[in-house]
Amino acid sequence: MKRRSLFLLTLFVVLGLLLAACGGGKDSAGDEGDKASGDEKEDTVQLVDPEKDFPKKVDKRDEAIEGGTLNFALVKDDPFQGILDYNFYEDAYDADILQFFAEPIFAFDSNYEITNDLPSAAKFEVNDDLTEIKVTIQDGVYWHNGEPLEAEDYAYSFYIIGHPDYDGVRYGDDMISDIVGMEAYHNGETDVIEGIEVLNEKELVIRWNSPKASLFKGIWPYAAPKDYYEGIPIGELSGHEKVRVNPIGFGPFKVENIVPGESVEFVAFEDYYQGRPKLDKVILKVVPTATVVEEIKAGNIDIASFPTDQFNVGMETPNYELITRMEPAYTYIGFKLGRWDAEQGVVVQDRDTPLQDKALRHAFGYAMDNATIAQQFYKGLRTPATTLMIPFFAEFHNPDLEGFTYDPEKAKQILDEAGYVDVDGDGFREDKDGNPMVFNFASMSGSETAEPIAQFYIQNWKDVGLNVQLLEGRLHDFNAFYDRVQNDDPAIDIYQAAWSTGTDPNPYGLYSKTAPFNLARFDNEENERLLQEGQSLEAAKDIEYRKEIYNKWQELMLEEAPVIPTLYRYELFAVNDRVAYYTVDPQDADFGWHQVALTSEEPAK
Amino acid sequence: MVKFIIKRILAMIPQLFILSLLVFMLTKAMPGDPISASFLNNPNLDPEVIEELKEKHGLNDPWYVQYTNWIKRLLQGDLGVSYVHKVKISKLLGERFANTVVLGAATLIISYLIAIPLGIIAGRYQDSLADKLIVGYNYFSYAVPLFVFALLMLFIFGFRLGWFPTSGSVDPQVTKGTLEYYLSRLHHLILPATTAALLSTVGTIQYLRSEIIDTKYQDFVKTARAKGTPEKYVYNRHILRNSLLPIAAFLGTDIVSILGGSIFIEQIFGYPGIGQLFISSILQRDYSVVVVLVMLSGFLAILGTLLSDIIMSIVDPRIRIEE
Repeated sequence: MKRRSLFLLTLFVVLGLLLAACGGGKDSAGDEGDKASGDEKEDTVQLVDPEKDFPKKVDKRDEAIEGGTLNFALVKDDPFQGILDYNFYEDAYDADILQFFAEPIFAFDSNYEITNDLPSAAKFEVNDDLTEIKVTIQDGVYWHNGEPLEAEDYAYSFYIIGHPDYDGVRYGDDMISDIVGMEAYHNGETDVIEGIEVLNEKELVIRWNSPKASLFKGIWPYAAPKDYYEGIPIGELSGHEKVRVNPIGFGPFKVENIVPGESVEFVAFEDYYQGRPKLDKVILKVVPTATVVEEIKAGNIDIASFPTDQFNVGMETPNYELITRMEPAYTYIGFKLGRWDAEQGVVVQDRDTPLQDKALRHAFGYAMDNATIAQQFYKGLRTPATTLMIPFFAEFHNPDLEGFTYDPEKAKQILDEAGYVDVDGDGFREDKDGNPMVFNFASMSGSETAEPIAQFYIQNWKDVGLNVQLLEGRLHDFNAFYDRVQNDDPAIDIYQAAWSTGTDPNPYGLYSKTAPFNLARFDNEENERLLQEGQSLEAAKDIEYRKEIYNKWQELMLEEAPVIPTLYRYELFAVNDRVAYYTVDPQDADFGWHQVALTSEEPAK
Repeated sequence: MVKFIIKRILAMIPQLFILSLLVFMLTKAMPGDPISASFLNNPNLDPEVIEELKEKHGLNDPWYVQYTNWIKRLLQGDLGVSYVHKVKISKLLGERFANTVVLGAATLIISYLIAIPLGIIAGRYQDSLADKLIVGYNYFSYAVPLFVFALLMLFIFGFRLGWFPTSGSVDPQVTKGTLEYYLSRLHHLILPATTAALLSTVGTIQYLRSEIIDTKYQDFVKTARAKGTPEKYVYNRHILRNSLLPIAAFLGTDIVSILGGSIFIEQIFGYPGIGQLFISSILQRDYSVVVVLVMLSGFLAILGTLLSDIIMSIVDPRIRIEE
């Protein structure tokens, strides 16, 4: 017996050593991070400022070599879906694959608007009313099967999306469904979309029923290889081999081979209209989050999205560089103020809750210490949010607005002045009539930090005397959470959620009273007016005017505070030292994968 | 025997029917639905389209209507279409299933290759150092969590030593059907299969060891020895054959369990299989896929016990299936 326990002890020691070795260099960096987060109060200083501490690109193009194979990681814990056509894809990871071989026919500028000033497969002219666009496909643009890109191909995208059998999600977009005659086509009444007129091989005109203020940002910019897809019923396209296994585009790389769900081999497309790519090949493969950092360190991967939860302040990056950009997304706290009237299709702000008082909502806002959350839980890779128009939209974000900065004294003062005082001495404030107030807070499960963050906010609110409880004492999974928030579950008073904004700054779809995604169920006349005005023709033509409108809207939303933005997000990318050029800077609007090059055949290790 | 098998297969039908009913109701009871879930990432779209799509897919019907439609299609051999992946489920499963079967079969074979000799040694040389090492390994493999061990193996043999590829089931640069392709698949297979096998030997070793220890004190063994049968013959012929019975009994369920896939192995080694598909389908509320996968594993479980019974009746003369 004694001998056995000795053996077991040895075994544990050996195992312990192995595990310790496994952590390797990462551990020491982890310790630093822990130390930093150890001393709490003093450390409200900014540890990391993503805007200053990381570059947005690597550029060593003067050292570049010809050719080479770049390894790109799709950082993901399950196989990719592989719906490889812009008209059908839904998953963002599929878009990461698409970017190598397919591209929009227009170029986009740094404000995410289509432009004629950069190289592109097509040029355009719009009329004054913004109801019509004339598109001219440029010469010398070829699909990977050798066919030239034609006006018919662009038109075919609309014929796919509008088709009654179409099984994707794109049709709802007003830029598509409001094309003249589109509805009749969608309902199967006709085979021809009246508003899409193909003039000749290279030119076509698209007409809309009403002026399209978001034309430059929202026009559907992708073509579909009509000849290649010939004979395939539209209802079967998304599952067809020509989309799944042998997709084509007119982008810089051709798909050579796809191993479904796990990897793709791309080779340079010699006839790419912007010139042959610098690289010979790109190998894209799915890499699990658990091992991606090791893959990067081992030099197996040249470019990968770097999991922000594996980032540590001061960590060593021996053979790679971390670059960053802001994500088009924000996290927010929402207050449930009403319900969705499905029949009328409008929000009704009629919930009987003390939260109808905006002073109370303000107090909630000032009580939240987002700076600490950003630094301690996200290591500075999220930053305290100020307004609902994120800095990603540099044109419209108002940097002068401070938003709800952490100020518990101010929160208390607001509550005192508004008449919310603790009458029964239990440490929590009562409502204006002296009745106890308890709020249920719903938050999503998912990351390891979800629960501590929710508890942190609850503590913040408790500090100013607001009694908030986690809904049912636990977190809820994504689907369950949204199911209840969308259906206006009366048990939920406050919720934490996030929106991904995409590249269109127009907040109408999230905050108008006619928007089902207005989850706070907030209804306000001025808000409605500003949102309408923001997407008006006048605003589309006059950027200064639009800025002014959105400025007012940002102020209004801070004043009314139906939702309070809490965090902006940054994402990290790891780039191996041998990569000569790669950028995530939105200013580099002309970036394309054909420009990416390497400085050596062998990766830096 | 044939009659027995037919009887058992007939008995499967009501079992599967009840299972399908339960699974269908439970999946539909999950909050959320696949269409709304995919829209939440895309707030700029028209809510009417969500409704239109839900209507089109029959998601607004009461569950029993959806169930009848589903059963009707199923009886015609149509498993349905995945909401998320937009392909026929039969096709989706086909891709993943091949991987799972290959990985599972390799795991099972390697696990037997390791476990049977170790079990025999441990049983035969009971209380020797070898036995203690083997039992120690057994405790270790039983105790260590698969995901920790998998990461460790990957770290050592994949990253540090660089002997094996670190993710995927095949190199995308080889042409399908060539020798190189199969070698690449094999190369990608060894590490995950060995990792899983090393941790799945515990039952086999333990049973085999105790059976051998049990058997070697049985009267017929003593008799054999008394007759002067050589020791080698005693072990191989008399003891081993009898001791392998429990292993044979587990074979049926083992074969079936490998088809369920292993989420950790698939995830850590980036090896697309059924396990991952199941989890992601639940998270994305891809009802049609979830139901089919649960049905499939239910079917396999029933089939597995049947297989075990049949194997037992063949190898163990004491067990006779009553006609």
